[in-house]
Amino acid sequence: MENNKFMRFLENFLLPIADKLNNNRYLTSLRDGFMIALPLIIFGSIFVVIANLPFLDKVISAEALTAYQNALGPASAATLSLMGLFVIVGIGYKLTEHYKGEAIYGGVIALASVLIMTPQVLDGVSGVIPTASLGAQGMFLGIFTAFISAELYRFFVKKEWTIKMPPGVPGAVAKSFSALIPVTLTLTIFLIIRILFSYTTFETVQNFIYTVIQGPLTVLGSGLPATIVAVLLIQVFWFFGLHGQIIVNSVFDPIWYTLNEQNLAAFQAGTELPNIITKQFIDSFLVGMGGSGMTLAVIILIFIIGRSRQLKELAKLGTPSGIFNVNEPIIFGLPIILNPLVVIPWLVAPVVVTLTTYFAMATGLVPPPAGIIVPWTTPPILNGFLATGNAWQGGVLQAFNLFVVMLIWWPFLRIMDKKYYENEQVQK
Amino acid sequence: MKNILLACSAGMSTSLLVKKMEEVAQSKGIEVNIWAVSQDKAMKEIEKADVLLIGPQMRFLKKKFSSVTEEQGIPLEVIDTLAYGRLDGEAVLNRALELMEN
Repeated sequence: MENNKFMRFLENFLLPIADKLNNNRYLTSLRDGFMIALPLIIFGSIFVVIANLPFLDKVISAEALTAYQNALGPASAATLSLMGLFVIVGIGYKLTEHYKGEAIYGGVIALASVLIMTPQVLDGVSGVIPTASLGAQGMFLGIFTAFISAELYRFFVKKEWTIKMPPGVPGAVAKSFSALIPVTLTLTIFLIIRILFSYTTFETVQNFIYTVIQGPLTVLGSGLPATIVAVLLIQVFWFFGLHGQIIVNSVFDPIWYTLNEQNLAAFQAGTELPNIITKQFIDSFLVGMGGSGMTLAVIILIFIIGRSRQLKELAKLGTPSGIFNVNEPIIFGLPIILNPLVVIPWLVAPVVVTLTTYFAMATGLVPPPAGIIVPWTTPPILNGFLATGNAWQGGVLQAFNLFVVMLIWWPFLRIMDKKYYENEQVQK
Repeated sequence: MKNILLACSAGMSTSLLVKKMEEVAQSKGIEVNIWAVSQDKAMKEIEKADVLLIGPQMRFLKKKFSSVTEEQGIPLEVIDTLAYGRLDGEAVLNRALELMEN
């Protein structure tokens, strides 16, 4: 009884949080902006994998390999390495769409605002835009700029500081004129910001955001404690039947993607990978092994020790989708939600796996994720192999992690199975 | 033809349910059009639907969708968690038909 009250309290506490986070217009446009960029990011990732196939250097000559990699290079250089650009357009678009404005203008204004504030000199050569500032390094500036520019654009449109065409003028022409003044004013503001920053010690807005916000946040996000907190939050939300990743990722994604891209740059340059915790660390090794909470391990365990018909049926039902990391049948069917019997393995297993994965990578047993974004529906083992830049150790680590999760679940699943089995016997 | 729209985070797990519901509908000779979408597409798809069902893991979306469904005058409900977990196409289909009748 006491237990139930506490559960209800938590549920009543978590639901509004989920509601607030998911209905916050900035967080939703941030999430949707990343969604827009995702197909492009995955496209680039696929070509990184193809360009770095493990056996190639043994089959063809070094020159041929370089030529092959150079030929494929633009695929990722134009997508993965510039992901900030697409996220910015996506955020500006989605936020303006939320306000029921001309969404495409929201997208391009965000892009132009960021470009206005981007240094256009590299090593003394002018008329160039350093791609680094359009990738992960420019991510945070891009996010803030997209928010602010979309807000300013909406503000000026709402004020009706627009040029209205007389009736009879074609719609497309009227639209571009009505956008003229809001666009001009918005971009002018960002130009002024750029000029003002050039008089400070930071010199560029980029430097300012990087030093004050992005740097400290990514350092925090790359650490073990913040990761464990994030993983636990995901699990707690799911325990109450709420989609944990959708809620938690909207806050953490900018950090995890930034860390990911730093690794990708190092992977392609052939230097040491700077980060262990990245987007793929979370997605491939913790969350995405058979779905949230690594329930593929639970399915396998049911096949090994399950006696009750109910669980065996459930395992069969959950297997096909579980292989591709979709696990709602298990979450709601076992059930995992609000089930006191599974709360311990549900919360403990991901933390233990976070530790095993972290230490396997920190000690060099397994290479850290290479910054390649593997589609989240890629089956485990293959997923870990691809995420680590075609390293077999990545697949082995996933198999090991699945085994660890099974061990942790073993006693609890046995109790559950026994309970179900006895009920079934009584009913017979 | 009745149009039943399901929504979840990526439209993945609801699409499993769609398949089960279609099987039941076919065997019973009920003419329905059932499809699943991700949450960001759902807003636009609502106008084509006669009922909107959302996955229990996305139940915090109910408030967001309800403004649109009320405007369109179509019923909206969070799918029962047990039926969802068991991929019980029959139960969900029956419930959807029930909601549309009222």
